[in-house]
Amino acid sequence: MSLRLGLIFSTTGSYAALGQSALAGALGAIETLQAAGGSNITPVIADPRGDMAEYDRLTRSLLDDGVRHILGAITSSSRKEMIPLLERRGGLLWYPCPYEGFESNGHVVYLGAAPNHHVVPVTDWIAEQGMERAYLVGSNYVWGWETLRLARDCLQSHGIEIVGERYVPLGSTSHEHVLDELCAQDVDCVVDSLIGPSNTSFLHGLAARDPARVGRPGHVASFNQTEADLGDLGAAANGLISAGSLFEEDAGDALKEAAKRHAPNGRVSSFLATSYAAVEIIAEALERAGSEDPRAVFEAASSASVTTAMGSVSIDPVLRHAELRPCLSLAENGRFRVVERMERAVPADPYLAARNADRRRRKTVLRVIN
Amino acid sequence: MTRALLHNFSGRTAIVLHRSEEVGQRIRARCDRLGICTVVCLGDLDSSLAATADMLILDIDTADDGMLPWPRGEAPMPVIGLIGSESPGRLAWALDQETDAYLPLSSLGNLFSALVIGHEIYARKSDRRTHEAETARRKKGRLDVIRAVLLLMGEGRDEALALKKLRTMAMVAQLPLEDAARLLLEAHPTARDASG
Repeated sequence: MSLRLGLIFSTTGSYAALGQSALAGALGAIETLQAAGGSNITPVIADPRGDMAEYDRLTRSLLDDGVRHILGAITSSSRKEMIPLLERRGGLLWYPCPYEGFESNGHVVYLGAAPNHHVVPVTDWIAEQGMERAYLVGSNYVWGWETLRLARDCLQSHGIEIVGERYVPLGSTSHEHVLDELCAQDVDCVVDSLIGPSNTSFLHGLAARDPARVGRPGHVASFNQTEADLGDLGAAANGLISAGSLFEEDAGDALKEAAKRHAPNGRVSSFLATSYAAVEIIAEALERAGSEDPRAVFEAASSASVTTAMGSVSIDPVLRHAELRPCLSLAENGRFRVVERMERAVPADPYLAARNADRRRRKTVLRVIN
Repeated sequence: MTRALLHNFSGRTAIVLHRSEEVGQRIRARCDRLGICTVVCLGDLDSSLAATADMLILDIDTADDGMLPWPRGEAPMPVIGLIGSESPGRLAWALDQETDAYLPLSSLGNLFSALVIGHEIYARKSDRRTHEAETARRKKGRLDVIRAVLLLMGEGRDEALALKKLRTMAMVAQLPLEDAARLLLEAHPTARDASG
């Protein structure tokens, strides 16, 4: 079977590092499949440059050109921009990024971490460390709003006080007012849902204003920090706790090779790994379906698990989300060290219907490994 | 007073009233992911089954008053209407039933949104009905307020001072004015008779 696969990733613009990492994973997988003589997937690459209007224009253009499967979008805003076009023209988006949940669209396959894979384990971990006071800061769009809303609920349910909550405009690198407020208080943990340059400048600013907190495990918590742009943070990220479906130390040779060949920073991240796995899933489903019809391919993809470079991946045919095996990692001098991992894959719970039950069960399935 | 939106339905029970078992199963699968126990009902809904449910999801294309064990517009739970044909007559029936939220059959992926909206609209409707019932009850007590003012005027006060006295009594007892008036009259049974 052959397929033209749209790869819409912003490899330039404010969150270019994430797009570059995801694109590297997709290209690495396509290359590997072709070398093995499997499905012939031809990438059709488009770079929206982080510009929302470009997502619309490029998605429209690809769909007009007969492309039916698109792997891409990084931010939830870009995904939501693409969905109406996919609905009208019968396309399918394979979305490889962690997101805030509360969505289950019939034209999207959600392969990244859902909130029960990131917000819940991170906030549980914060509580287990005995932290008592948290400050929430996020970019002023749906990822920031929703992850921090969930974080507030989860932390407060643990009895942790939220001493402040601020949102900054997307792309803003001026955080003095936030740092003034934050540093004037005794904050155990800063929950950080900033993205791109805002995140980088904020963490550097925080480290400069309060160097004593840097390195303390969990002084900053993130739900999506990966190796894709960890290098930009330098020592300022030391002690940051993050959740992810895969960290570099767990990457096998295939992912390392893809990173080496295609990622500008040569690093494996969950963006890279998930995009790599997405291509493997698409290729396998294509063979199973014997057709590139999006509905048939999705049904084939969700009918049985697929072995990927991330391990075996199952997709819920109803909510269209992947089961993942999330880990928690601490940043240390530009690398992540896994400190907890789920013993088995966890179904996505994008609406957090089972949050309380998960919390009760979690003690038996997580183990501290180092 | 603001109320937090309900967005976790885990542990609740939904009845799906739809003649198509296939549609019922698709909704059941989604409800299952939301932690909702689902009973698919292909025919009329009887009151004993309805008593077990927290919400009703029904097909407005085919439902009619006779299928529901309550008077029109008086469902004792949130009702989500599934829109199929969009015929004005069926939409009119659903509106008369005071359906709380609508979900096109082609958009079952948005069931969660319909549930959040439906539960909030139902809660607001219930609050409004409670408020309206209380207003009606208190309106019935207006004559007692006049009688109580007249009683208090008998102690040498003018009507403004008597009303102020009655208000103070109500405030101290933390009662509506009408209830305070009724209690005062009960303590002075002749006042009610004397005022006609």
